[in-house]
Amino acid sequence: MVKRYNNFKEVGDTVVLYPDNYINDIEGEKLEELCTSYLERGFKKVVIDFSETDLINSIGVSVLIGMIEKVRDRKGNILFSGLKQVNYDVFSIVGLTKHIMIFETEEDAIGGNEKAAGAVTTA
Amino acid sequence: MTEAELSLEKLLFNLSTLAELGEEITSPKDFTRVVKSALYMVMGSFSSSKGAIFQFDGDRGSFEPIASKGLGDIGGVRLKIGANATGELVKYKEPLDLSSNAYPVTLLGTAREELRKLDARMLSCLTVKDELLGFIAINGKFSGEPFTQYDHQLLSVMSQHISFSLHSHSLLMKLMHKYTENKNLYDNLRRIYYDTIHAFAAAIDAKDSYTRGHSHRVSAYSAVLAREMGWNNDEVEGIRIAGLLHDIGKIAVDKTIINKASPLTSYECRELNSHPVIGYEILSKIKFPWKGIPMMTRNHHEKVDGSGYPDRLKKGDIPIGARIMALVDAFDAMTTDRPYRPRLSFKEAMDEVKDNWNKQFDPDVVYPFISVIKKEVRREVDNPTIVPLLQEQLDSVTLNRFFEGFPRA
Ligand SMILES: [Fe+2]
Repeated sequence: MVKRYNNFKEVGDTVVLYPDNYINDIEGEKLEELCTSYLERGFKKVVIDFSETDLINSIGVSVLIGMIEKVRDRKGNILFSGLKQVNYDVFSIVGLTKHIMIFETEEDAIGGNEKAAGAVTTA
Repeated sequence: MTEAELSLEKLLFNLSTLAELGEEITSPKDFTRVVKSALYMVMGSFSSSKGAIFQFDGDRGSFEPIASKGLGDIGGVRLKIGANATGELVKYKEPLDLSSNAYPVTLLGTAREELRKLDARMLSCLTVKDELLGFIAINGKFSGEPFTQYDHQLLSVMSQHISFSLHSHSLLMKLMHKYTENKNLYDNLRRIYYDTIHAFAAAIDAKDSYTRGHSHRVSAYSAVLAREMGWNNDEVEGIRIAGLLHDIGKIAVDKTIINKASPLTSYECRELNSHPVIGYEILSKIKFPWKGIPMMTRNHHEKVDGSGYPDRLKKGDIPIGARIMALVDAFDAMTTDRPYRPRLSFKEAMDEVKDNWNKQFDPDVVYPFISVIKKEVRREVDNPTIVPLLQEQLDSVTLNRFFEGFPRA
């Protein structure tokens, strides 16, 4: 069963969003809308956990950049976790890895444990 | 294009985006959606956070946004550009850097101010023939990195794809959707597809200082030979593309190994010989409109006696397209200069082919190769392809003498 961007978890003022297994068409905007609605409700930190995501193409990259901008416009914090190597590579190609904190697990991201940053999920 | 920018991952990412873009704009989806997807693909490729596509509106005489991202509501924005300036802008196939104060950016006049308000950094004209249909505008990269020459090329190829989508849409709108126009449009799309693949072939050849044009010649030779062997148009186009891309796996091989003049160590040899498999892995991820391209790439170094690589296939197990490419690839390698030796003459090269008859090369491919060369030398074909690319003159008397010693069919 394909999940439709309704997967999220709230932890204090942090929300964890779980994208679909593919972020490769403009349906991906629903993730951006979900993110916006959390920001409007006052959430300050957004964690996007990609453990279930197998493919991010150029459209997906533009959706994610849109989310990053929205969060930053509101002085919030956006973190990535659970990145597979293939997705890490895509982010690295477009230069995102230098600008976003990436954590191995969503727990590390929620806890903001900076020592864990920069990791790719090997599992 | 420097080495660093052209990593295998980046090439693959951009190539698959182009394939997806080609697929998207020829899909029967709703036009608004197609344009929006196309914009997102462009923005994702350059990590832009703001972007818009404008289309010329003949009634209003201005360019209006038909898709945008990261800019809020820009429905009221109009770009007014005079007819003379439009006529000049159409000539610029390269994207314009809006941070410049020089010509041709100055042609934009007041529109430049509008674009500045949108934070636009790069502007690419969407043109078909001499008509300026619209623009794509994007802001600077999210990463803060500059736009490179490679980025310019990529943006301009993507813009060409999108231009044809706008064009075909406006044709539809004007109910001028006749069969012939459709066909021309399809031909144009196919040409863009080729332009793209050619750009990648050039990138492959650029890695190897001795094989400038190798991919193009392998492509041309393969197509001529396949046609001689009775392949249909579609199959010929397929092998033409395969020829252009057959060495794409070399992108992943260290440049110093490719250009080394002295014999290779066994490690280097293994590295170099991995290129058909790497190429196969790259190309099998791309949806081509033609069949067999990944396998032709994988098996272009097989030999009919089973001593080739990577799969050590014997004659009948090697795809026929790969057997064609094995011959013309070796033929071109022999008849051009290499780091470790000067080129062989045509006769020396054909002697090699003869010596490796039924060992490396397939007689079923060699015979038609000989016969098409003969036809070209005797000017029995309209567009000779192989002979003009050789670096020597051939006449039919000498040619017949060369082939006398060949085993009979
Ligand atoms: Fe090769």
